[in-house]
Amino acid sequence: MPYYQTWEEFARAAEKLYLTDPMKVRVVLKYRHCDGNLCIKVTDDAVCLQYKTDQAQDVKKIEKLHGKLMRLMVSKESGAMEMD
Amino acid sequence: MVLLENDSFLTELTRLFQKCRTSGSVAITLKKYDGRTKPVPRKGHPVNYEPADNKCLLRASDGKKKISTVVSLQHHAYSNLLRAHMDGLKKKDKKSKSKKTKATQ
Repeated sequence: MPYYQTWEEFARAAEKLYLTDPMKVRVVLKYRHCDGNLCIKVTDDAVCLQYKTDQAQDVKKIEKLHGKLMRLMVSKESGAMEMD
Repeated sequence: MVLLENDSFLTELTRLFQKCRTSGSVAITLKKYDGRTKPVPRKGHPVNYEPADNKCLLRASDGKKKISTVVSLQHHAYSNLLRAHMDGLKKKDKKSKSKKTKATQ
């Protein structure tokens, strides 16, 4: 279960994984205030992508990605997946 | 697992974050939801649920208490809440030589 070193790679891989099978993918956020860190995991139970950070600047990025995935989930099937 | 309305979920989530400020973690899970209310039946049984494409399940837990909600519209309140509470992380420390880059000029 690799922890990605760069946010860019993680975000790209996460979105790609989600788009391959939206129903299987789940996003887990684990926040520890006492330790001051945040971990995000995106998995489809076969592939697992993780990113961990203790930097405040990453919170915004993580929260944006989280929001983006949520938006993809609640939107109708248009947009990314043009399936019949 | 307590299933709540979106607003109550936000309230409870706030409470979870506040409780865990001194110790513990808050785990939030997001997953696309297709509207089924019964488990996947064994083969031979008809599946009768309305497939919904525009919902997702949001769960939160502090290790003991678990809450969840079904989201069908993007809620800005939720993103704001996350950002507001996850504020205990280190601020980026600019190296001291460039600390006055944004000073008024």
